[in-house]
Amino acid sequence: MLISLNWIKDFVALKDDIDPKKLGELITVRTAEVEGLTDLAESFNNMVVGKIKSIKPHPDADKLTVTETSVGGKTHQIVCGANNIYEGMYAPVALPGAKVKWHGEGDWVELKPTKVRGVMSEGMLCAGEEIGLESKEDGIYDLKGFDVKEGMPLAKVFAKDDIVFEIDNKSITHRPDLWGHYGMAREIAAITGNKLKKLGAMVKIPVSGESPEIEVEDYDLCPRYCGLIIKNITVEESPQWLKDRLIAVGYRPISNIVDITNYVMAELGQPLHAFDKSFIKKGIIVRRAKKDEKITTLDGQERKLGTEMLVIADHEKPVAIAGVMGGENSEINDGTTEIIIESANFNPQSVRTTSVRLGLRTEAVQRFEKSLDPQLTELAIKRTAELILQLCPKAKIAGPITDKSNIELKELVITLDTEKVASKIGAPVTAKQCAEILESLEFGVHKKSATKLEVLVPSFRATKDVDIEDDLVEEVVRMYGYENVEATLPDLPIKTPIDNIERTRKHHARNLLSYGFGMSEIYNYSFYGNDELEKCLIEDKNHILLENCLSSDQTHLRISLVPNLLKNVADNLRYFPGFGIYEIGRTYKEIGEFFPLEEKWIAGAVVLPKKAKLEPFYDAKSIVLNFLEQFSGSQAKLLKDEKGLSYAHPSRVAKIILRGKEVGNVFEVHPQVLKNFDIEAKVAMFEINFTQIAGMDAPMTKYSQLPKFQGLDIDISVVVDRKKTVEEVENEIEKADKNLIKRVKLFDIYEGENVEKDKKAFAFRVLLQADDRTLTDEEMSAVQKKIFHNLEKIGGVIRGK
Amino acid sequence: MKEQLLALKKACLEAISKADRLSNLQEIEVKYIGRKGELTNILRGVKDLSDAEKPVIGKLSNEVKNELEAEFKAKAHALETAELNNKLKDDTFDITVPGPDVKPGHIHPLSQVQNEVEKIFSSMGFMIMDGPEVESEYYNFEGLNIPAWHPARDMQDTFFIKDKKDKKHGRMVLRTQTSPVQLRTMEKYGAPLRVIVPGRTFRYEATDVSHDTTFYQVEGFMIDKDISISHLKGVLAQFLSKLFGKEVTVRIRPGYFPFVEPGLEVDFSCLLCGGKGCRVCKHTGWVEFMGAGMIHENVLKAGGIDPKKWQGWAFGFGLTRLVMMRHGIDDIRLILGGDLRFINQF
Repeated sequence: MLISLNWIKDFVALKDDIDPKKLGELITVRTAEVEGLTDLAESFNNMVVGKIKSIKPHPDADKLTVTETSVGGKTHQIVCGANNIYEGMYAPVALPGAKVKWHGEGDWVELKPTKVRGVMSEGMLCAGEEIGLESKEDGIYDLKGFDVKEGMPLAKVFAKDDIVFEIDNKSITHRPDLWGHYGMAREIAAITGNKLKKLGAMVKIPVSGESPEIEVEDYDLCPRYCGLIIKNITVEESPQWLKDRLIAVGYRPISNIVDITNYVMAELGQPLHAFDKSFIKKGIIVRRAKKDEKITTLDGQERKLGTEMLVIADHEKPVAIAGVMGGENSEINDGTTEIIIESANFNPQSVRTTSVRLGLRTEAVQRFEKSLDPQLTELAIKRTAELILQLCPKAKIAGPITDKSNIELKELVITLDTEKVASKIGAPVTAKQCAEILESLEFGVHKKSATKLEVLVPSFRATKDVDIEDDLVEEVVRMYGYENVEATLPDLPIKTPIDNIERTRKHHARNLLSYGFGMSEIYNYSFYGNDELEKCLIEDKNHILLENCLSSDQTHLRISLVPNLLKNVADNLRYFPGFGIYEIGRTYKEIGEFFPLEEKWIAGAVVLPKKAKLEPFYDAKSIVLNFLEQFSGSQAKLLKDEKGLSYAHPSRVAKIILRGKEVGNVFEVHPQVLKNFDIEAKVAMFEINFTQIAGMDAPMTKYSQLPKFQGLDIDISVVVDRKKTVEEVENEIEKADKNLIKRVKLFDIYEGENVEKDKKAFAFRVLLQADDRTLTDEEMSAVQKKIFHNLEKIGGVIRGK
Repeated sequence: MKEQLLALKKACLEAISKADRLSNLQEIEVKYIGRKGELTNILRGVKDLSDAEKPVIGKLSNEVKNELEAEFKAKAHALETAELNNKLKDDTFDITVPGPDVKPGHIHPLSQVQNEVEKIFSSMGFMIMDGPEVESEYYNFEGLNIPAWHPARDMQDTFFIKDKKDKKHGRMVLRTQTSPVQLRTMEKYGAPLRVIVPGRTFRYEATDVSHDTTFYQVEGFMIDKDISISHLKGVLAQFLSKLFGKEVTVRIRPGYFPFVEPGLEVDFSCLLCGGKGCRVCKHTGWVEFMGAGMIHENVLKAGGIDPKKWQGWAFGFGLTRLVMMRHGIDDIRLILGGDLRFINQF
């Protein structure tokens, strides 16, 4: 919301030399965030009135023209893209150094002399929105009708000598009283120690005459409705002072009556509406819309209404959507002479819901949804009448205000324990200080005891904003000054926190995977879409689906980390021939209960160039087994997964078994899946259920005695059938002597020359060792013989025997 | 014979001092004190000596031998050292030859910063909590004092889950904040509490350089008998100073969040300019960092904690934003972009 300092000065006698920047900072730390401050005069620096002397086509661009524009004593060549310029036109010219907004959008940019399609342009002819003015029409702002001379500073033309604060709307979500200048002035008076000049009703409302007929059918949705008839008005352009103020705070001047309603809204925070009385049949009825009732709103759009929405209607038709926007059918026009002014209080939830349903957010909605003070309607309608009479001297108030209301005028009194205040702030705030602060904000304070105050909440704060003791604590502490609250540490007993073992172990897992096994950690989104599912051959079931999403890859919550990781693989292959990546993240499975099952998984991918001789499966396997041994202190095993996984190569997939439980899988990616992702590389992946392994006991290493007697390695080379697995052969070796064979390690696999087709050669190194003696040669050769025997039994041929 | 021995000693010492190579030195050793050397030669005459002379000469010859042996050893050591030094001096080893590829992986910056944040708060006695990311409307909004019609919902564009509705829980959402874990923790542990909740949060929001649908937050809260805004200031200053490794001051100003009262915005002194004002802090000297406040009594009640007995504060800040600030990352989309050219920088 924009706040004009000049307007504030109508209500607070601020010193003329007050530093606006300091005031802005003070508002920020006491009340609401000032996001920006604009000195309107400054924004017109380096802007002057120019007179276009000649217009020639641009040699290189059809849509551009090259003008010679006089800016007083000097003529500038300026390139222009608008088509409403003419020779002799007076227009705003931004000279180098001026700040403009391109096409009225984005940030202010400093203008520099520049070549436009090869032609030098020493400035810019400006449209209104490019220099912060409201445009009357498209194109360059025509200064026809203004009393101007070429070279005249533009700030002078528009009488811009105001400072405008931009208040962060979010920070006043809870403050209905701050949505107008008067409320802000009240706040500024309190924080600067000034008195607020009260805005009184300076208009005489006749005691008899014509009043609008108003019927409120639903007081829940409309607690108060005030209406007033004014006759003999002339609709015309507003005077400059009114337009300046509106423009300064971001409103587009339209005509005097509409401008006045906007002016009073910007001043008091109370939205108003003016109907052309000639279009209102009989009287006003405030009722719920009928099913599928339609109205065309002031923005020219036809809108279909629902029965939960409140409308303002006459006896034939709806004429406005209550609190949201007026209807075209009763709009003020040039011929309007009699109007009905509406100043009402609507239910904030209802206005908000209607606005959301219609997708129509207006200045009025923004205020009504904050829960406005119902007492404000009367002041606002009188202020409106006052201004109308001021601008249209012939106008006459036709009669008394019709005031329909059903509001409880109950005073809200809260007991404040000032010791509690001091305890919550953590500063020695006294009861006296509390009372002074609250009184400065127009709260009524009655001292009940040394530490208890009875606080009467003023009506403009009592609608929702202030209703519990803590709300008063806030009033006290912000005015006391957060900067005056010292930073201290709480005096609490030392206590070690309850461990989050899963968290700690997650960091441990990352250290192992990244620093131990050379993989890099990736974070992916929690969603994917049909495309990813199809590419991964995953069935579309057990998924949690999003109701609203912004793109087609956000429709499903993931049940596996694999699809997104495969995307990462495809993306990174553009820059790296091979790599290892992993992610630790959640999956979300539909399990037929309200809450889905959220599990944390580790998934990783080992990627090797397509031509690599090595099989990434073995890298992945090695990473998984070594990782799990480090992480859990137990040896994990792989079991061939007969069931398979949709995205895995059907014969290159294994289950991971840790402490007898299946905790994940290792696999080579299905060639079809690789093709679907356009991946031209060898990719093996693994998935480990982290929730499961983190829940297993942490490793506790048990010391085993160092061997006292030396062992001996024997090498065994055997040729076996090609279908035999390493594990099968190893088992045969181990079986030879379970006590003495301590380790069997494969160190070579050979196929090719010197080995028959359909056969392969394995070379193992076997460690023999006894715990209680040095082995004799006889013992060793006995074991070796047994090993040979076992291997021959399965068709093996020992080489070099 | 005594003269012979002394002459031999003199000659030998001279030869030693002149030796310039180890091989040379060995030759001298053989010549003088070797088994067939000159000393042995001289001592052959001992048998002709008188009984009175024998022990005297014997002692002298031993002394000479020992002395010479020590000298040989010392010289040998000196020559060895010299030779080694010469060799080292002439070495042409090229340290610029690249080493073999040893490639450690990288831990994502989010994880790294999160780990640090967790460690600092753990050391101050805070427990680290987790909660579901797919959350109910009740925990994400109503229970936190944000009813359906509340304007504050505009600040949090929400992803809703299809076909999930429950009487108590309302609709199901992707949590828009880590605050629901406040309620869940209160329900589970009661008061007093010191907790942080780092976690993933979601907003139904179009993506650009500074907005993403998915980002990380850290929620923190403390509930006890006498917890105040002053403590919030103190704990946060402590945390930030530790995190950034230098003294950081904290500024508090009013803010509005429905689940706290009073509601606060917390800024910290700009690390780049130290508060003087620069581009990074938009010339204010302060960097906007988090929302905070004293936990609203309705939230305490919803969590089953009696607001008459207990009070406390809560805060929430963007972990993703902290990571970006810390490393000067200018595009939030890199964080979840999965690009190794980015991740491998950390």
